[in-house]
Amino acid sequence: MKLELYGASRDFSKESFIIFNLKEKSTIKELRVAIIKFIETNFKDNESYKKIVNSSAFCSDKDEIVSDNYKISNNERVAIIPPIGGG
Amino acid sequence: MLHARVVDITKEQIELIKAEKFIASSKCGASIYFVGTVRDLNNNKKVMAMTYDSHDALVIKSFEEIYQSSIKKFNFDNSVVFIEHIKGKIKLGEISILIAVACKHRDQAYELSRFFIEEIKKKTPVWKKEHYEDGDSEWLEGNQIQKN
Repeated sequence: MKLELYGASRDFSKESFIIFNLKEKSTIKELRVAIIKFIETNFKDNESYKKIVNSSAFCSDKDEIVSDNYKISNNERVAIIPPIGGG
Repeated sequence: MLHARVVDITKEQIELIKAEKFIASSKCGASIYFVGTVRDLNNNKKVMAMTYDSHDALVIKSFEEIYQSSIKKFNFDNSVVFIEHIKGKIKLGEISILIAVACKHRDQAYELSRFFIEEIKKKTPVWKKEHYEDGDSEWLEGNQIQKN
């Protein structure tokens, strides 16, 4: 699946997205764990990045904010929504 | 009536004149313009510019949901709302957000304008990165998004 990056999570990659190979029908909760592992591997356990992941919401490809139990479809595009601060 | 857009600074700017034209109505006797701009100092650091990031589809959706909430909450007749939010890097003093409202009466217009900016702060997925005098930059901490 493709994780689109927004706000502070853009610092996780030079691209605007990260591809994760999750098992079919993985949940947002499992995606969150996979992102944390990605940070542990690529950013030496960066605590501030992990804090961003743990405080983020996630948005489905139907532009809906989804819960941790939401099941991600194959090849679905999911966006990470870190804490917001517009205006 | 609602106008809602995310404006890409690499293509255009937010312009008051567009809002003025949109909210003009002989049914409304009061108009309020809320204009957000980039400030030069934050947490004792000199700010030179700001980058706004946006999940465009979700931003528009949130503006529409806030508008629907405002109708349910206030039930003002003939109110008109124009909202544009910038995305991309803008300089000091440039406009990041414009909320223009027109209502029959001034108390309604003040209430509606305030409602929009406060709801946007809680529900609209936009992020700010400050750029400082020393060349450093930093994403600002925000608040967890609230669902409707």
